[in-house]
Amino acid sequence: MNSEHRFDQAIGYVLITGVVISLLVEATGILLYYLSYSHFKISSERTLFIHGKDFFDFVIELFKGDYAGKRAVFLMSVGVVILILTPYIRLLMSVLYFAWEKNTKYIFITLFVLLLLTISLAA
Amino acid sequence: MLNMVSLLLISAPVGFLGALTGLGGASILVPLLILLGIPVKEAIASCMVTIIATSSGSASSYVRKGITNVKVAFYLEMFTTVGAIVGATITTVIAPVYLYFFFAGFLITSFFRLKEKVTGDFAVPEYQDKLSRWLDLHGSYFDEAKSKLIEYKVQNALLGGLGMLIAGLAAGMLGIGAGAFKVTVQESILKLPPKVSSTTSNFIIGMTALAGTSIYFFSGLLNLTLMAPMAVGTTLGAVAGGRVLNKLGNRTLRILFYVIVAFLIAQMLYKGVTSV
Repeated sequence: MNSEHRFDQAIGYVLITGVVISLLVEATGILLYYLSYSHFKISSERTLFIHGKDFFDFVIELFKGDYAGKRAVFLMSVGVVILILTPYIRLLMSVLYFAWEKNTKYIFITLFVLLLLTISLAA
Repeated sequence: MLNMVSLLLISAPVGFLGALTGLGGASILVPLLILLGIPVKEAIASCMVTIIATSSGSASSYVRKGITNVKVAFYLEMFTTVGAIVGATITTVIAPVYLYFFFAGFLITSFFRLKEKVTGDFAVPEYQDKLSRWLDLHGSYFDEAKSKLIEYKVQNALLGGLGMLIAGLAAGMLGIGAGAFKVTVQESILKLPPKVSSTTSNFIIGMTALAGTSIYFFSGLLNLTLMAPMAVGTTLGAVAGGRVLNKLGNRTLRILFYVIVAFLIAQMLYKGVTSV
């Protein structure tokens, strides 16, 4: 198996692992939501939206925050965060792979997308 | 009344139909959510996140099998991510009524793709332009149906990139994958073989959706009670849809496609006209 094929395998596994974990966390979050509030209502209450100026700060705050009594919201947020990070990690791996391959053209191509998305997520 | 369980139960067949017809779950789900009373911008933003799940989930096995051309994907992602960021930014600032018309207009373009698929035939081109060659955009994959190795060379990298910029713009703006549009660009401009094209498009859609999501996160349009059930439902449905895809006849799929797209266009136009 050559390195390119191994790289394809690795990103394939990262994608499926991220999605499966995220969906399991989301499903658990929905169940906990019912156990906490005794209903499955879709709500436009602000606490049920995830937003912020900096996504990376949001992730750190999410894990630092006090979610006693709000574990359902915490889990659903974590599920979405994992989902958002899945392609991001795939991108990070790609930059590293091309750096290891010393493929300058593709280091720049993947770095461009990585920088763009990092700025967009953080600013 | 719409709640998380009913939304999950609606999303599953939508994901199934989206995978079967090649429309993608979000193209059906956005109009459906609007019909059920969800504000258009919230529907678009939530679907954008859902797409990361369906796209990454289905892209995984094709990447591992080596059918997806990851280099072509990385090159095209430069264009789709820029497009999606601009598109999503437009959505957050414009009046909702325009979104109904843009959505209907974009759905109309998916009819052209179908025509192309019926008449088009894939041939391996001999030459390659300078940019495509410089970017090493070529590849091969083992076609199981034909039991042989298919080699190909990408053409018109620059024009294809610009086509993907438009695809990304529409995707970010409307909360969809714009898969049919991406596949059309890849097959007719970049000359990718159909199987490589559809799997590479699927792979790119996840990254494009992430770019759009980054803007919707900032704008505060991401509703957890919409995203959680939709992500679970559409992904399960899409996995099931992918499995039965090859068992259905082309004619059945085509009729199904026309009926769904016609309904979605009518609904969005109606919503647009009544909101003016």
